[in-house]
Amino acid sequence: MSPLAAFFRPNAWRVFRRNMLAWQTYAWSSLAINIVEPFAYFVALGFGLGAYFTVTGYGSLVQFIGPGLLGFTAMNTATFDASWGCFERRVFNGVYESMVTAPVHPLEIAAGEYLWQACRAVMYGLLFLGVLAVFGLGHTFWVLLCPMILALSGIMFAIPALFVSMIVKTQEHLFYYFSFVATPMAMIGGVFFPLDKLPHWALTIAWFTPLYHAVNIFRALVLGRVGPSLLIDAAWIVAAIILLSYLPTRAIRNRLGN
Amino acid sequence: MPEIDAAVLVLPPSLSKPPQPAVVVRARGLSKRYGALEAVREVDFTIEAGECFGFLGVNGAGKTTIMKMIYCRIARSAGELRVLGLDAASHAQEIKQRIGVVAQENALDPELTALENLLLYASFFGITGAAAKRKAAQLLESLSLTGKEQSRLQELSGGMKRRLVIARALVNDPEMLVLDEPTTGLDPQARLLVWEKLSRFRESGLTLLLTTHYMEEAARLCNRIAVIDEGKILAEGSPLELIDRFAGQDVLEVIGGDEELPDERTVAALVRRRERHGGVHYLYNSDNRVLLHRLAELGFEPKRHVARAATLEDVFLNMTGRELVE
Repeated sequence: MSPLAAFFRPNAWRVFRRNMLAWQTYAWSSLAINIVEPFAYFVALGFGLGAYFTVTGYGSLVQFIGPGLLGFTAMNTATFDASWGCFERRVFNGVYESMVTAPVHPLEIAAGEYLWQACRAVMYGLLFLGVLAVFGLGHTFWVLLCPMILALSGIMFAIPALFVSMIVKTQEHLFYYFSFVATPMAMIGGVFFPLDKLPHWALTIAWFTPLYHAVNIFRALVLGRVGPSLLIDAAWIVAAIILLSYLPTRAIRNRLGN
Repeated sequence: MPEIDAAVLVLPPSLSKPPQPAVVVRARGLSKRYGALEAVREVDFTIEAGECFGFLGVNGAGKTTIMKMIYCRIARSAGELRVLGLDAASHAQEIKQRIGVVAQENALDPELTALENLLLYASFFGITGAAAKRKAAQLLESLSLTGKEQSRLQELSGGMKRRLVIARALVNDPEMLVLDEPTTGLDPQARLLVWEKLSRFRESGLTLLLTTHYMEEAARLCNRIAVIDEGKILAEGSPLELIDRFAGQDVLEVIGGDEELPDERTVAALVRRRERHGGVHYLYNSDNRVLLHRLAELGFEPKRHVARAATLEDVFLNMTGRELVE
């Protein structure tokens, strides 16, 4: 079974359903936590810092940071649950252990997790999009494409996070991933400041990070400034999902296969 | 007188001898290595349909490793292993579809209710909707868990959790139930209840395969036992056969020093086997009354002694030694 074929297996959707069922028991706290963080950044940076700066080509910092934080939210929500949450489900709660005594293939578990992270990214992303709408952003039909990009981003960020959760020995080691990968990616991904004044090498690095492309698309959709270059960003994301999906297969089989 | 064709009198093979019981698990030279550690060393065993087969051994003997290979959680290093006629390495998913597994760890989902745990697990076998609900209700009832549908894990006792895991393992009407230490860590009442349930399943014809380090459990539930130590099968047979073969009928435990008994050669002539450990002489013999009578004739009447029937524990300790191995 290929990691992509696993998405179409019924058991992947049953794993997804399991997470949805469990989520319902802590939905309110989870929604609150996942909305407060981007909101805090939005207010503090957009209005606080934004009182002193404007961004060339965008006007206010609110206009720039708001849609960027949509990509940031998708990355955070998928990264956290696919690493911290999956580690918990695998190691502490025996969720996967019971699945593999039933005829669930390890790659079906992975696919179910990716689908669930897509769902989380859509839920929390749309919630934050609502916040942006209250502040006058995203009043365009282009935002209707946001759920699709949120879902793809959720899957894209979930894959490496799940991989890390499969190879670390303790849950604390996940902080290496948060600190060395996720946080720097948020800084260079174009969420908080435009990258066009950075040296060329920094731009090159940014181009190779998934967040950069997600943020490009979200900013264009929310501000209604859509151009053909977005197709490249979208293609980049789809290609990343296809290529990345092979990265954790070995680790997943080692942990859960026979 | 017409000649009778001899061939007519030959009974068809199916009538001439009892039908061969179907083999459910067959292992030949089965081994598992973890780096330098040989957890299971070339074991052979065959489990037939309808029997309750037990692996008896101390912690670390290799019981769990054998079970995990049977329920296709880990791959073997060498040898042959067929479960339900299928190769365990290449047909893992088909085997999992047809057996029930109670692993050593409960692995119940703490974020779901008892009923949700069952329904989710059933869905992995393609059992969904009303059929799954009916099956779950029936299993909860048969494992005395009715009324616990909406309970979460932390509200269930250890025994209830174990019975819920057994219920979960039965959702797919398995052809064999594999249980790795089903009652370890349970209090006596909870253990009795699990034994009662398992006995009932056995009587209904379900093939059971279990591991245990409780002699009583093995003696009560299993009709065949393999004693396993350091990854090897030391002996195999019914509980009574093993007791008879390796311990004898009776055991006389004489507490005290050498002065309590005649000299070694005299004792050896009276018993099948003797052993001394921690200030206790263990005399394995065929009848304690006769032995005590003979000792009295020789002028020995041990003041402190225990006369009892031999148990599986004696078999086990005879084979693996009375010293604590850690």
